[in-house]
Amino acid sequence: MFLKIVKNDFYRKKITTVTVFVFITMAVLLGASATNIVANLIQSMSELQERAVPADITVMHAGEYDQAEIDQFAEKYRDHIVMQETMDLQNIDGSNIHFGQNQTMAGTIQDISFVVQNKKFDFILDLDNEKLEVKEGKVAVPIYFMEQYDLKIGETITVKSGGYEKEFVISDYARDFEMNSSLTSSKRFVINQNDYDEMLEMQAGELEYLIEFKLNENGDSQAVQAAYIKAGLPANGPIVGGTIFLLFNAMSDATVVMVIILISILLIIIASLCIRLTFLATIDEDLREIGVMKAIGISKKDIKNVYLNKYRVMSVAAGIIGYLLSFVLVNLFNGNMRLYISSELSGNLKYLLSFIAPLFVYFMIVMYSKKILKRIDKISAVEALRSDIMEHGKNRKYSFPLLKNKFFSINIYMGLRDVWKRFKLYRLLFFIFAVCTFIVILPLNMYNTVNSAGFSTYMGIGKSDMRIDLRRTDSITEDNKKLQEELKNDSDIEKYAAYITSSYQVKNADGSWDYINIEIGDFSVFPLKYLEGRAPEGEGEISLSFANAAKHGLNKKVGDEVTVRVGGEEQILSVTGIYQDITNGGKTAKAHTSLGVNEEAVLWYIVSMDLAPGVNIREKMDYYQNAYDSAQVNDIKEYTGQTLGNIINQMSLIVIGGIAIAVIIAVLITALFLKMLLSKDMPRIAIMRSMGLTSKNIKHQYMAGTLLVLILGIIFGVLATNYLGEFLVSIAMSTMGAAKIELVNIAWQTWLLCPLALIVVVGYTISVCCKVTEDDDLSVTFRS
Amino acid sequence: MTNIIEALSVNKKVKLGKDNELHILKNINLEIEEGEFVSVMGPSGSGKSTLLYNVSGMDRITSGSVKFKGREIGGLKEEELAKIRLKNMGFIFQDINLLKNLSLIDNVMFPALVSKDADKKAVHQKAKKLLEMTGIEMLADHNITQASGGQLQRVGICRALINNPDIIFGDEPTGALDSKSTKEIMSILAEINKKGTTVMIVTHDVKVAAKTERVLYMVDGNIVAQKKMRKYNGHPDDIKEKEESIMKWLAENGF
Repeated sequence: MFLKIVKNDFYRKKITTVTVFVFITMAVLLGASATNIVANLIQSMSELQERAVPADITVMHAGEYDQAEIDQFAEKYRDHIVMQETMDLQNIDGSNIHFGQNQTMAGTIQDISFVVQNKKFDFILDLDNEKLEVKEGKVAVPIYFMEQYDLKIGETITVKSGGYEKEFVISDYARDFEMNSSLTSSKRFVINQNDYDEMLEMQAGELEYLIEFKLNENGDSQAVQAAYIKAGLPANGPIVGGTIFLLFNAMSDATVVMVIILISILLIIIASLCIRLTFLATIDEDLREIGVMKAIGISKKDIKNVYLNKYRVMSVAAGIIGYLLSFVLVNLFNGNMRLYISSELSGNLKYLLSFIAPLFVYFMIVMYSKKILKRIDKISAVEALRSDIMEHGKNRKYSFPLLKNKFFSINIYMGLRDVWKRFKLYRLLFFIFAVCTFIVILPLNMYNTVNSAGFSTYMGIGKSDMRIDLRRTDSITEDNKKLQEELKNDSDIEKYAAYITSSYQVKNADGSWDYINIEIGDFSVFPLKYLEGRAPEGEGEISLSFANAAKHGLNKKVGDEVTVRVGGEEQILSVTGIYQDITNGGKTAKAHTSLGVNEEAVLWYIVSMDLAPGVNIREKMDYYQNAYDSAQVNDIKEYTGQTLGNIINQMSLIVIGGIAIAVIIAVLITALFLKMLLSKDMPRIAIMRSMGLTSKNIKHQYMAGTLLVLILGIIFGVLATNYLGEFLVSIAMSTMGAAKIELVNIAWQTWLLCPLALIVVVGYTISVCCKVTEDDDLSVTFRS
Repeated sequence: MTNIIEALSVNKKVKLGKDNELHILKNINLEIEEGEFVSVMGPSGSGKSTLLYNVSGMDRITSGSVKFKGREIGGLKEEELAKIRLKNMGFIFQDINLLKNLSLIDNVMFPALVSKDADKKAVHQKAKKLLEMTGIEMLADHNITQASGGQLQRVGICRALINNPDIIFGDEPTGALDSKSTKEIMSILAEINKKGTTVMIVTHDVKVAAKTERVLYMVDGNIVAQKKMRKYNGHPDDIKEKEESIMKWLAENGF
C-alpha cells in the first residue's frame, strides 16, 4: 500500500522527486568519496610508514664529523634511540644533470643529491613500496622529477660534473617518505654503491650528511634533539622531526578531502532544503488530503509515514547508488596518492568507513523530514480542509504599496516586492546562489593567491623579481662577496639585498637551549608584510615566524625578549614583529645584521633583487647562473610555483570542479524552484490572467524576483568569500605557519566574470523554466 | 440594440482519461445585448459556469463560434484575449480571488496599472471612488485578512470595474455570502448595470436571479428555457413578485 502511494506520488511530482533524488545521491557520492579518500590516506600512509621506516630525527650536516661520537651519543641515549644511521649525500647541481634532448634540470629549485639505499631505516621505496635495490649503471629517480620532466623507465640521465661523466639508465621511480613532497626542498636519487663510490672518487658533488635517528615508541624527540645540540655534535644544517614529513606527505590529499567534505555537507544541506521546499510547495496541495485522512480517522503516525516513506525509499536508493558510484569517483582524486603514497589502495577500511556517508545522509534526511512533518500535528482536520489555513495570522504592516513604485514597470515591481513578501520561500534560492558564488570564488581566490607573486610573503620572503641562492661550498664566502660587488655595478639591477641564514642556539621558554635558524640582512629593501609589529631595523632586534612565536614554539609576543647564543656569548634580542612563513616547517627568524653571522653554522646565502624596467628576467637569470656555477637562480614566481606545484595543480582541479558543481547546482535548483513556485502559485497566476495579464507579464514578474535573489545571493556570496573564506583558509594554513592569509581578489574575476557567468547561466535557466502555461482552461484552476 | 456576446453552436468537451470525454456544453446558441443583466440558473453540473467561462474567452471552446462586440474570440491568441479581458471585461468569483500580498486598494488598482501609460494619480482617485461607491473606503489600506467576505466581494467588484469594462461576468458572486451581503452586492451590481454595463452572472439563488432582467435555465449542457423580465425597480414588492414568477417558471421546466 505504502509503496503504491510512493509510486503515485513519484508520478505526480516527477521533476521534483528526481531532483531531490539527484541531490541525495550526489551528497552520498561525495561524502562516501571523501571518507574513502580519508580511509585510503590513513591506511596507505601507515603502510608507507611501515615500509619506509622514516627517521624520527634528521640532522642535516655539511662538513666533517666523527661517527664514533655519534655512536657514543646513540649508545648513551639507548632509552630513546633504537637505531642510528648516517646517510651520505652527494649534492649535484641541476644544471649538471642532463636528460632527453639536451635538457638539464637547471631550472629546479630542489637540491638534488645522489645516495645509496640505507641499511637500517629511512628506506627509499619503489612504486610497489618495496625497498629499492638499484643495480650498477642504473638510477631510481624521485617521483617529483618523474612528473616534472616526464622521465620514463628505460630512459637515461647523464651526470656531468668536472671530470666526471656517467650515464645512468632509469630503472625505477623513488618513493621517498622524507622527501616526496614538493614542500621538502631536497630530492634523493638512488644509485648503486659502486657507482656512488666512483662519483665520490671523482668528487662529482658536494658532500652532505643526514644523521638520522630512529626512536623507540616512547622516545622523546625534543629531548634527544636538545641533548644532541648540547653535546655539540655536528649540526650545521636544520634538524627536522619526523612529523613534518608526515604532514607534507598528506597535505595535498588532505586539502582535496577537506574541500570534498565541505561540498558534500553543502549538498546534504541543499537536499534538505529541497525537501523543505517540496513540502512547502505541495503542502497546500496535500493539505486537503491530510484533512480527509484525519477526518476518516487515520492516525497522525500513519499519515506521517505516508509522506516519510517516500523519502525513506529515496534515501535508501540514492544511498546505494551514491555509495557504489563513489568507488568510481574516488579514482579521479586518488592519482596523486597512488603516485606518492601507495600504488595499491586495496585496504578494507574504505568500504566500512565510506559506508558512514549513506547512513549519515539517510538519518539526516529522515530526521529533517520528520521535523517538517511535525506541522501535521498542528493542523486539525477542519483546518486542513480549509485551504486558506497557511495565510492565517499574517497581519503585518503593509509595505511596498503599488503607488510607491517610481522606477519599475508594474510587473517588475510585483516580482521584486514578492521576494520581500515571501522571503521565507525565496531564501532557499538565495542560499543556493550565495553558496554557488562561494564555491566558485573561494577556490579561484585561493588559486590566485597561491599563484601570485605576493604569495612569497607567506614564505617569509619579501616580494622581489629574482633570487639567487648560494650553496654551501668552500668558496661560498668569496662567491657572496663577488656577487654583491657585481650586483652593485650591474645597472640592470634596480635594487638588491643579501641575507645570510645561520643556525644559532636559542633559549626555550623552559630555559633549555634549542637551535633556531636566523636570517640576517637589511629587511627594509624587500619589506615583508608583518602579522604584528615590524621588521628588525636596529641593533638587538629580531622578528619571529608565526610558528616560532606560537605557544608550542618559543611562546613570544612582540616586545618580549629572546636570548640567543652567538660565538659562545649570550645576546638578548627584542622581538619587533611576527611574520608568516610556511617554509622550513614554519620555524624561522630574522635579525638585524648587528647580530653577526654564526660562521660555524652558515646554512645558506640568499640575494633578492628587483630588475630595472625593461630588463629580460630570463637573460639575467641565465647570466648569473653561468657566472656562479654553484648558485641557484630563480624567478620568484617560478620559485613559489615549483614549491607549491602540487597544491597549485590540485587547486586548479578544485577550481574547475567548483565551477562545474556550482553551475549544476544553480541550474538544477533554479529549475526545480521555479517549477515548484509556479505550481504553488497556480491560483495566483490564474487570478492575474483573469484580470488580463498576459503570460509574458507574469513571466516578467517571476524573472525579476528570481534575478533579484540571484544578485543578492552573488553579493552575499562574494562578501562571505572575502571574510568567512579568508578566515577558513587562515585556520587551515595556520598549521603550516601562515596564520592570516589575505586572499588575492582579482576584481574583474570576482565582481565581473564570475557573477556575469552565473547571471548568464541562471538567467537562461530562468527564462526557459519560467513558462506560464497558456493551454489549460483558466477556470480549471479556479474550480479545483 | 447590438449584441455584446454572440455564441453560435458552442460545444465544450473535456477529456477524462485516455478514451473518455465529457460533453459539457452542447450546441449552445446565445445572444446577450449591450446593457443587459442576465443570470444563468440550473442544477449542479448543468454547465452554467462552463458557459460563462467559455463565452468570456477565459476557457477555449471545443467547437462553434463566440463573438465579443462582433469580433470572433474563439481562435484568438492568448495575448489578444488577455488584452480584451484587461480592457473590456471584469470578473467576479465566488471565492473572490484577490491577490494575497496586496492591500485592498492595491488589489483594485492593479489591473489599471498594468497598462504602460497608466496615470497613477487618476487610477488612485478612481479606485478610491469605487471603494466609496461600494461603501468600504475606510478599508482601503487594509490587508485582505482584515475584511469580511462581503467586504472582500465589494473589493472584487471594484477591481472588476477599474478599467471601465463593457461587461462583468460573475460566477456565483454571492454564493459564499450571507443574505445581507448578498442583498448589498446585488444592489451594487444592479446600480452598475443601470449605468450601462452589461452583467452576466451564474447563480443558484432565485432572489439573486430576480434582480436580473433575463434568466437562462440550463440542464445537461443545454439552455432549455429563458425568461425575460422587466428591469428591477428597487421596490420590495416588485422583487417578491419576480421571485415567485421565476419559481413558478423553474417548476414548469422541471427544476
